[in-house]
Amino acid sequence: MSPAVSGAAPALRVSGLRKAFGAVVAVADVSLDAAPGEFLSLLGPSGCGKSTVLRMVAGLVEPDAGQIVLAGEDITRVPVHRRNLGLVFQSYALFPHMTVHDNVAFGLRRRGVGEAEGRPRVERMLELVRLGPLGARYPRELSGGQQQRVALARALVTEPRVLLLDEPLSNLDALLRDEMRVELKRLQERLGTTMIFVTHDQAEALILSDRVVVMEAGRVEQIGRPEEVYRRPATPFVARFLGRANFFAGTIAPIDARGVVIMVEGGLSVVAAPRPGLHPGQRVQVAIRQENIRLEPAGAGGAGNRFAAKVVFHAFAGQSHHYVVQLANGRELEVAAPGGSLPLARGAAVVAAWGPDDVVTLAEDAPGAGGAR
Amino acid sequence: MKSGRGLGLLLPAALLLLVAFVLPVGMLVPTSFRPYVPLVGITSGFTAGYYTRLVTDSYYLEIIGRTLALGLTVTLATLLIGYPLAYFLARTRSQWRNWLTLLVVFPLYLNLVVRTFGWIALLAQNGLVNQALQTLGVVNEPVKLLFNFAGLMIALTHIFLPFMVLVLIGPIQNIPRDVEDAARVLGASWGSTFLRVTLPLSMPGILSGSILVFVLTISALVTPRLLGGPTYQVMSTLIFDEFLQRLNWPAGSAAALLLTLMVLTLVFLSGILARRTGARA
Repeated sequence: MSPAVSGAAPALRVSGLRKAFGAVVAVADVSLDAAPGEFLSLLGPSGCGKSTVLRMVAGLVEPDAGQIVLAGEDITRVPVHRRNLGLVFQSYALFPHMTVHDNVAFGLRRRGVGEAEGRPRVERMLELVRLGPLGARYPRELSGGQQQRVALARALVTEPRVLLLDEPLSNLDALLRDEMRVELKRLQERLGTTMIFVTHDQAEALILSDRVVVMEAGRVEQIGRPEEVYRRPATPFVARFLGRANFFAGTIAPIDARGVVIMVEGGLSVVAAPRPGLHPGQRVQVAIRQENIRLEPAGAGGAGNRFAAKVVFHAFAGQSHHYVVQLANGRELEVAAPGGSLPLARGAAVVAAWGPDDVVTLAEDAPGAGGAR
Repeated sequence: MKSGRGLGLLLPAALLLLVAFVLPVGMLVPTSFRPYVPLVGITSGFTAGYYTRLVTDSYYLEIIGRTLALGLTVTLATLLIGYPLAYFLARTRSQWRNWLTLLVVFPLYLNLVVRTFGWIALLAQNGLVNQALQTLGVVNEPVKLLFNFAGLMIALTHIFLPFMVLVLIGPIQNIPRDVEDAARVLGASWGSTFLRVTLPLSMPGILSGSILVFVLTISALVTPRLLGGPTYQVMSTLIFDEFLQRLNWPAGSAAALLLTLMVLTLVFLSGILARRTGARA
């Protein structure tokens, strides 16, 4: 069930959505599409408006402006209970006074599906989320992970047109969260349900999504496949929010055959791959991800983006070594090296090197320029 | 030891209960079986006559029935008026919330006798209510609202409404909004969500509020006495008269013990009911 990113009509189209609570603008202007069967994440820090967008799609919050179109049908003014969507809450929001079975059957009952037809559907769904024998239990008798699976089954059993998930894994502990991620992704691939997933966890968004919508302050900063938003962030915010990087402010020197040369603070010149839209004299931000910096023995030759440095901090974190190295001009860089490599001692003289392709150049004066692309 | 310390914390309350409740009520038991002879007083014989009279004599049965009916209607009325109010106060994000809650509680700060006299002024033959009804042409003759069931019910409902609202607010606030939202997203209309989710989850509050108002109503003395007059009796005014007007302590004791028994039975039954509904919530 690979998503048809182009061609087919979108399963969900949101355009120009806006919502203010009093003087606080929660969502300024959000537009996005989800293709049928797509797993789309809304990623951003808390308070960026991602949950409000989701609640507007669900119908729990009324937008001030904008349009929500579900499979070609404008549902902006359709009441919540007629939208036929699924919603999974961070708090699970199970009905504490009903058994697991009755919780899952709730949506079917509201649609007039009787006991005879409903029971096998509920049982099949409980089987699918691996809760088969627990139908007679009450929610309080289940663990957090089991409760979240009941919530998933409850939302999916009515075969919703789109499943909305509001930070569904945030209340689970780390191990269980990893397990549920895999389970959620498999479920989505198996059922082919379009899913809109809200999270503040960038790793979660990258792992699960077909595409990621990065949001900040009520606006969309960038929409793209996980590799795109990670490797080619459109704005400084996206670069900072996804992964750890070293940032320099600088000015573009005349562009020559080697690529774009950027004079950054502290008298260094960094070579970056050419990119449209850059012109000499422009103020830019330069980001180099910590895992893209190589630490080589001091003295090794080569051209471009090679700087003598000294190791000032080292820590081992299992999958990787974390280093802080200090350049000759005093500037410190964070570097991540593969965990299998030999550790470098504190005080060792090294060369910090990176390729022009690893340099992310971001125009400083155009925060919204990255827009939706 | 944990349990030892727990018992220590219970001790002051247990002592108070013993001295102020169990002992006095216990002392009523022997009194209630003594024959009372007019002009002589309490004699040393034994009789169960005051009890049999209470449960067989139509005069007393009517008073008991009236007391229970009053308790039931006042409880129902405070519930019907109080629930929407409590729901609003529990869910509103208005900055006026604390002031509104204060407004609900405010009547409790006024003296009960003062409030009851207020109701007499309102409900009398030529009181405000009757004047308004006649001016509006709703009725031609003044409606009798004093010294009868209607007057007592109106006044007691007003007096005990704050208790119902205060008890309901907490349990309603404890119902997560997400749970109601989940029901609506799953296709339940507003009414269906209320009936299937909000109301069942409010049951603990409804139960304790109802018990409280019912018990307060059937044991209320001042309001029934002032609004019911000397002839329209409920159990508490009957007990009062037996003890202090007729000086028939044995008859008063028997009635008092019956009222106590009714209250205890009710509290016990509600405890079972609460455990049964609470077990699932």
